[in-house]
Amino acid sequence: MIEIDHVSKRFGKVIAVDDLSFTVGPGHVTGFLGPNGAGKSTTMRVVLGLDEPTAGAARVNGRSYRGIAHPLHEVGSLLDAGAVHGGRTAWLHLLSAAQSNGIGKSRTAEMLTLAGLDEVKNNKIGGFSPGMKQRLGIATALLGDPPVLLFDEPVNGLDPEGVQWIRELFKAFAAEGRTVFVSSHLMSEMALTADRLVIIGRGRLLADTTVDELTQDTLTVTSMEAGAIGDIALRNGIAVHELTPRHASLEEAYMKITAGSVQFHGGSQK
Amino acid sequence: MTVLLSEWTKLRALRSTYVTLLVAAVTALLATGIVAASTASVQASQAPPFGAVAGIFAGWLSYPALAVGILGIITMTAEYSTGQIRLTFTAVPRRLGVLAAKAAVTGLTGLVFGEVLAFAGYGLTRALAGHPLGGTLSGASIHVLAGGLSLCVVILLGLGIGTICRRTAGAIVTLPAVLYLPLLVFVLPAQWKDDIGRFTLVGAVYQLVSTHPSGQLFSPGLSLIVMLAWPAVALALAAVVITRHDA
Repeated sequence: MIEIDHVSKRFGKVIAVDDLSFTVGPGHVTGFLGPNGAGKSTTMRVVLGLDEPTAGAARVNGRSYRGIAHPLHEVGSLLDAGAVHGGRTAWLHLLSAAQSNGIGKSRTAEMLTLAGLDEVKNNKIGGFSPGMKQRLGIATALLGDPPVLLFDEPVNGLDPEGVQWIRELFKAFAAEGRTVFVSSHLMSEMALTADRLVIIGRGRLLADTTVDELTQDTLTVTSMEAGAIGDIALRNGIAVHELTPRHASLEEAYMKITAGSVQFHGGSQK
Repeated sequence: MTVLLSEWTKLRALRSTYVTLLVAAVTALLATGIVAASTASVQASQAPPFGAVAGIFAGWLSYPALAVGILGIITMTAEYSTGQIRLTFTAVPRRLGVLAAKAAVTGLTGLVFGEVLAFAGYGLTRALAGHPLGGTLSGASIHVLAGGLSLCVVILLGLGIGTICRRTAGAIVTLPAVLYLPLLVFVLPAQWKDDIGRFTLVGAVYQLVSTHPSGQLFSPGLSLIVMLAWPAVALALAAVVITRHDA
């Protein structure tokens, strides 16, 4: 359970997070969406006690993160997989994180295996690809077998196999009753993994909803031509009033919600 | 305890740790050798240029102390420059615990390294100078021990400055300023130079390593307090900075 309770965060004159409140519950994957600069990463840093909120408070399982003695057992997190010292080997890097929370060598080795990094465990992280660093970051997050997981853009840099792996991992963790909170700026990614969605823009809450609600009143059929659907409906005696071919309808719904709060637009060439 | 183990693993996992210590050891022994050789050439009737054992440590001032101090600096600044600090604080939200663990680990490393180097330097000096410098080992050992301790002091001073500055470049510019700029007071008129000089780190270390401490500066006992106060103040400021800033 993650609670964001009227959190605001200012950096000088810039308001990164503006009186934001929402709760992330256990048992499902909650997607955290918003355009670049919406305040997703800042919110996550506030949850992890890295940034002190200007106002409000964030709690994990009812407690302030900074009050947890060995937090890796409570919250597994990955903010920026590239933010590691490249001079250490994967093994010693992971071991040092494990030791800080009293986690032993066997569990550490297990997590390296889970992340598929056994072969490169004695290589320096500096030589790792972004995808390998991502895997190492996920291994770090899972060290303490935590009931709450919090990831910032976890699929960035992963190859298709890695993306598949992490999606399955998230779904499995949610099914085990854990709280899984995943940020992304890609609705298409969230459409495949998340059950619930928290959407923010310019630091404010825009929607706290489920994936189904966001696309309600429509039945979405994927990977099928409109004509084929019509034929099936006709064969089964179902009246169809409207058939609209759409691509990534969630994506559109998301774009509509965040349209007013996108700060960084791509310019068109003139 | 868990944080200590973690910080120890981090320190020993980096090649830069071994490189800086190797550079410090080589330059220290080189400087000691040069001072000892020049002392040996001085006639036995003349007093050595530095109070006996102090000669060993005069050479440390130039480069070895800087190398050790830089190790203290990068122990913290490398975490900020790579972003690793966010993982560190996520795993250990009690930031003072992180600072204390880093201080314990680097301080112990600096102490053991400093003592080994100090006694090696003493042995080298006795071998090269050809006459028993500073009398017997038992008579000199307290001064040699103090010399070794000075590297522990410098590494902790570096850690403090690194934590306050957070950036490697700024800290590496600040460290020599703190170490060497106060030396300028020794060119001031007599009444000022001793009044201020007794509070400098270098002045305090001199009083401890010298078999003939200056009567104008603090006593060795007070000088020990002055020497320890430098890293203590730096670490106290560091403790304020590390808890106040967003990571």
